[in-house]
Amino acid sequence: MLFSIPTTTASTLLTLPSPSSHFSSKLNAAVTPKQIQLKLSVNPPLTASSSSSSSSRGVTDKLNNLASEFASLTEPIDRVKRLLHYASLLPPLDQSDKVHENRVSGCSTEVWMVAHIDEGRKMRFKADSDSEISKGFCWCLVWMFDGAEPEEVLTVERDDLVGMNVGLNNVKARSRINTWHNVFFAMQKATQDLI
Amino acid sequence: MEVLLPKLPSFKFPTPSYCRSITTKTSSCVRVGFRRLSSLPVCASTVNEALADPTVDSPSLGHSTRPHFPILHQEVNGSKLVYIDNAATSQKPTAVIKALQNYYEGYNSNVHRGIHFLSAKATDEYESARRKVEAFINASDSREIVFTRNATEAINLVAYSWGLSNLKPGDEIILTVAEHHSAIVPWQLVAQKVGAVLKFVNLNDEEVPNIDQLKELLSRKTKIVVVHHVSNVLASVLPIKDIAHWAHDVGAKILVDACQSVPHMTVDVQDLDVDFLVASSHKMCGPTGIGFLYGKLDLLSSMPPFLDVYLDHSTYAEPPSRFEAGTPAIGEAIGLGAAIDYLSGIGMEAIHEYEVELGTYLYERLLSVPNIHIYGPAPSKEVKRASLCSFNVENLHPTDLATFLDQQHGVAIRSGHHCAQPLHRYLGVNASARASLYFYNTKEDVDNFIHALHDTVSFFNSFK
Repeated sequence: MLFSIPTTTASTLLTLPSPSSHFSSKLNAAVTPKQIQLKLSVNPPLTASSSSSSSSRGVTDKLNNLASEFASLTEPIDRVKRLLHYASLLPPLDQSDKVHENRVSGCSTEVWMVAHIDEGRKMRFKADSDSEISKGFCWCLVWMFDGAEPEEVLTVERDDLVGMNVGLNNVKARSRINTWHNVFFAMQKATQDLI
Repeated sequence: MEVLLPKLPSFKFPTPSYCRSITTKTSSCVRVGFRRLSSLPVCASTVNEALADPTVDSPSLGHSTRPHFPILHQEVNGSKLVYIDNAATSQKPTAVIKALQNYYEGYNSNVHRGIHFLSAKATDEYESARRKVEAFINASDSREIVFTRNATEAINLVAYSWGLSNLKPGDEIILTVAEHHSAIVPWQLVAQKVGAVLKFVNLNDEEVPNIDQLKELLSRKTKIVVVHHVSNVLASVLPIKDIAHWAHDVGAKILVDACQSVPHMTVDVQDLDVDFLVASSHKMCGPTGIGFLYGKLDLLSSMPPFLDVYLDHSTYAEPPSRFEAGTPAIGEAIGLGAAIDYLSGIGMEAIHEYEVELGTYLYERLLSVPNIHIYGPAPSKEVKRASLCSFNVENLHPTDLATFLDQQHGVAIRSGHHCAQPLHRYLGVNASARASLYFYNTKEDVDNFIHALHDTVSFFNSFK
């Protein structure tokens, strides 16, 4: 699937993560039986014109970019609009992926997250939600972590994301309503389980 | 100021087809008492006196009580707070806050255990709070009131103490699909332990529990019926007196979850003839951390202790002490007593009348939102809804809606399944938004909410 690069300010030009090399639905040899429960994706998640540029951009860079992008939007309504814009870019998950095993726990919205590790030992993520704002969060998180090395995903601290907390869901504490954190934790846990 | 009473020309009451004229009693307390309410400390002895009414326009109950609630007078996210999440928790009047402060400043001491002055005073006030609860729900004896942490704990007490010692394999427990999780989970666990069976009453076409089905499910196998009085999602009210009667006819007990009724209307446990009834303080202007179980004395006397079983004792204390192990939430119980004083000062009939009208106004104004579905029965002369509305707007997730309402308009509602997941599954949705009023809300609160809701719907529609 091809996606247009979203237009943003020059300082935060976003490119989409590079595709993994084609992989079959056969399990990676390193995957343990427990990991089989995570539905493996057959299709490459996202493609971009440049195959190497975004994988060399660290998670930290992307995190900082997004943080400053949202910080520059001083009106809360503009942050909502930006999130809704990103929501429109999020490719929908297959219905077959929207299953209980892929649900991120939390009760305010439904969020599904699918993770696998590709042949280049990079983490691949897909996510979706029934709420537009959550979709926007999902897009941001997928953009940051898709194609990253597992260790990069695991070293991001929850507090690093606080600066990213886009003015909605002002709850800083870990709480079931904090979609942002819950999806992030789910991604970290999936990464932990896969390596 | 708007007057929210029927038949007065200053307030135009909309009359769609299902809402015929609602006749309600007007009490002198409502019409004249509240001119003075806002300037006097509230206590039961003064408020119910008939006062001369110097002007024609009396403030509504909402306008006259708002000044008692300091928390309501603030801005959130740059807008005036519109707090309409009262089914989740209520706000506390100054009288209750002061009662807690007075306790800790003046006589905090452990109860039932000491012999010194402070302890005696604390014990007196704690037991006085128990008697206030007894009077509030018209129990016949204050020993029938067991203080718990909240209604959830009270239900667990019945399930584990009464349930485990009275239920046998094959016995049936009847609930509805609209019960709060706290009323379902303990019975699931107890049923598993003893081999009992849970039976659920579904909703009818009006989105109300099907009373005919309930009657059909009742049999000699039924040992207890566990039902809400007022639904925290559907706003429907169950005919508890009838249900208790039918339950008793087959030899079953009835446990009523009165969390959404006790704060909003007169509840008379003797008149209803219920066996058990639970409620939480924090939903009725009292502090968090305290609630109560009402149980008929003979039932409570036959139940084993719940939280503590002393190995070195061969006899148990009498109820309610039997079920109140350790140091109780003393200040909180006293705070609940102060809340009951405050509510009694206004009068539960007056509160209920006001809320029926304001709740109907909320319902009707919500209908002006395109593509909205409000759950539960439509209000009418026969159907008096509680003053809350759970709803969904097509193609707009309730959480997105609630987030925008809060962020852009300072309006506090709730979104999610409201601890009623089976109900939402039954209704075919994952979540809903809910606006719930209390007597200190005003017509302006509803108008501000509806205006904000229209703005929210337009905003999200512009992105489609």
